[in-house]
Amino acid sequence: MTPHHAARRCGLGLLVLIGCNTGTTRGERRRLVIAVGEDQYPLALNRERLGRYPLNAGICEPLVRLARDFTVAPALATHWERREPNTVRFFLGHGISFSDGTPLNASSVAYTLADAARKHTDFSFLSDSSVRVIDDTTLDVRPARVNRRLADQLVHPTYGIIEPGSDPARRPICTGPFRLAGYVPNDHLTVVANERFRGHRAKTDTVVFRFIPDETTRILALRSHQVDVVSDVGRSNARAVERVPGLRVVTAPPGAVLVMYMNLNGTAPYAQLRDSSLRRAVAAAIDRRTLVQSVIGGGSTGLVTTVNPPSVLGAYAPLVHGVPYDPAAAKRALHGRRRPLTLIVQPGTIDRAVVDYVQAQLARVGIDVSVEQLDAAAFETRVNSGAFDLDLEVPNQNDANPAFLLALRWYSKSSTRSAAFTHGSPRFDTLVQLALAANTDDDARKAAAEAMHQLVDVEVGTVPLAGMSRVYAMSDRVRGFMPHPSQLNQDWSTVWLTP
Amino acid sequence: MSATSWLARRIAGAAVVWLLISFLAFSLGALAPGDPAEVMLLRRTGDPPSEVEVQTLRHQLGLDRPFVTRYAAWLSSAAHGDFGESYRTGQPVLDELRERFPATLALALSALAVGLVIAVPLGIVSAAVPDSAVDHGARLLSLAGVSIPSYWLGYVLMLLFAVTLGVLPVSGSGGISHLILPALTLGLGSAAGVTRLLRANLLDELGADYVRTARAKGLSGWRVLTRHALRNALNPVVTVSALRFGRLLGEAVIVETVFAWPGVGRWMVESIYDRDYPAIQGFVLYIATVFIIINVTVDLSYRALDPRVRLGSSLSSHK
Repeated sequence: MTPHHAARRCGLGLLVLIGCNTGTTRGERRRLVIAVGEDQYPLALNRERLGRYPLNAGICEPLVRLARDFTVAPALATHWERREPNTVRFFLGHGISFSDGTPLNASSVAYTLADAARKHTDFSFLSDSSVRVIDDTTLDVRPARVNRRLADQLVHPTYGIIEPGSDPARRPICTGPFRLAGYVPNDHLTVVANERFRGHRAKTDTVVFRFIPDETTRILALRSHQVDVVSDVGRSNARAVERVPGLRVVTAPPGAVLVMYMNLNGTAPYAQLRDSSLRRAVAAAIDRRTLVQSVIGGGSTGLVTTVNPPSVLGAYAPLVHGVPYDPAAAKRALHGRRRPLTLIVQPGTIDRAVVDYVQAQLARVGIDVSVEQLDAAAFETRVNSGAFDLDLEVPNQNDANPAFLLALRWYSKSSTRSAAFTHGSPRFDTLVQLALAANTDDDARKAAAEAMHQLVDVEVGTVPLAGMSRVYAMSDRVRGFMPHPSQLNQDWSTVWLTP
Repeated sequence: MSATSWLARRIAGAAVVWLLISFLAFSLGALAPGDPAEVMLLRRTGDPPSEVEVQTLRHQLGLDRPFVTRYAAWLSSAAHGDFGESYRTGQPVLDELRERFPATLALALSALAVGLVIAVPLGIVSAAVPDSAVDHGARLLSLAGVSIPSYWLGYVLMLLFAVTLGVLPVSGSGGISHLILPALTLGLGSAAGVTRLLRANLLDELGADYVRTARAKGLSGWRVLTRHALRNALNPVVTVSALRFGRLLGEAVIVETVFAWPGVGRWMVESIYDRDYPAIQGFVLYIATVFIIINVTVDLSYRALDPRVRLGSSLSSHK
């Protein structure tokens, strides 16, 4: 805070009553304030994952972590090896301790993974007997079902290891670069540097995550210097922030995809997209290049795969081509008949301009789209009951499994209920199963790419529209920020504020 | 009618209203689409529940019983303060309300205070010098206050006091400083209506015979205004302020979301988004209870404000 700011803040008579406000001040340079959205921890499902998921505050570490290139990198485990038929052996680093000084061992890991299985926060087919402790630093993990992508999935922060006996809902004790200092529901979560962290000490003493549900309020908090970083900035606000001196916008590497789901297995009145020629017409009607360049703008990329970045598929990414933009072909496929379809959208997740653009593009070829903007619960109900034709969403790639989204959203055996309406053919299912059961990473990428080709090009079961990135707004004083394509894996320990 | 019998009738009437509201609140949850047991299991585990799990929970929650039986059981529990468990958080709804209601109450009371502090002087001045520049200014401000949406006003106040002047926090909770902007946002809208009402009432009163008599007796204009006309003009203001208080609780929904104020309004928005029916039902009944108590209290306060008022009779007949 400059003397000029101080004078403005403290010089007014009003302050006799209210005192100076609570922004970051000159005496608190080692305190970083990050504005995030709604506090999700009061929810029953997240209550016992405080500081880990859905807001990863850097308190806990999983066995392995997701590198910025979507490969699996060592974290608590220094290395690991696949042991047939369905087991991965992890070797923990030596001399690792929790923030209270208690040593980490294989039993601690077994406790967390079994706890995840018991509390249904696991999505890797673990059971409470999946972990076998070999010795203090060695353990075997064997999922209850064949899952050779286990190591890829354990990067997820929900698998952050906590000290047995510590309270995961109030005071989780972990090994990460920070330790929890305080949590006030719906207001803020504070972490401080963990002095016992074995790696580089966090560059900021204290990080405060402030829960501010309203995006405009988050931006105003940044403009008033009461927060230093804002996460999840919409495109229009990002453009506005770029014009404010002293602030900047940082776009993370691609990690999400704007995708149009289709109801492939619906019943009337939502059965029209069982017709593959209509699906192809929808896919061919949208000029994705213009969408990226003129409508979405900064941070978005052209994309034909359902995974972003396509490099997750390795050398096999070119197997997926995407349906080319061809409005004339789309019109021909409709035989001159206008077709009405219902598109459902959850406001706040998709810019209105994108929805308008898609609607206009489809109208040009003869598809009259009725857009329904729904709140979260209504949207969930409609998606899970198949009451839609089209659905626009922006799913994220949060682990290293190349078949992650394919298995979650289009695989007929997915635990996600909406998959009953969006799942592909038996041929597609077979390819997804191959990806999940592949012995090598290369085989998994190949099978995932073939499955994606089957879904996108052959069956036209979905339309990837654009690669998307998380956008952050921050003060010019913020240094050391290295945006991760997966926001869940964002590391705040490298960030600091200049005076 | 004696004060005691009036009070008894008033409380009986309030109880009927409370019962009606409770029925509507319960019906909302019962008639809403979706199986509460399924929603509860899905929210708690994140996984689609099996049919057996759903049926077991339905039985545990008594959802397989007839509507009237369920309503009676729910009402009995609600009367004892048990509104059930929130689907979203798994916590007792009453605990959540108790935790958050003080913040909303503080906000609504502050907004009411802001409204009255602005509206009463402005209304008096407007009525004292009608059609003057001050009066026109006050009326213009009132019109603006009634017309401006609260969320927009909130952003404007944030821009002015937090971004430009840097004297107040943008959002959050933690002290009086955090309360000022949301209270101003809510209170300014409230002030607009009360100003217009007070001005109109005062002008009516100033034209009344008793005012002319008071002036004829040599009382100063200011004394006539404040000691005689104002007192009579305030009765409707008290009524409107009480009703306004209920509306403030409702409007707090938007303001609390914009200012990240941890009250029941914001919690309610989240509950509605998640179809958390126990929370919605609990909120409706809780707020209705508070509102009914306020209304009875306001009726009682008439007597203190205007000795001419006899409880149980219309105000106008005693003028």
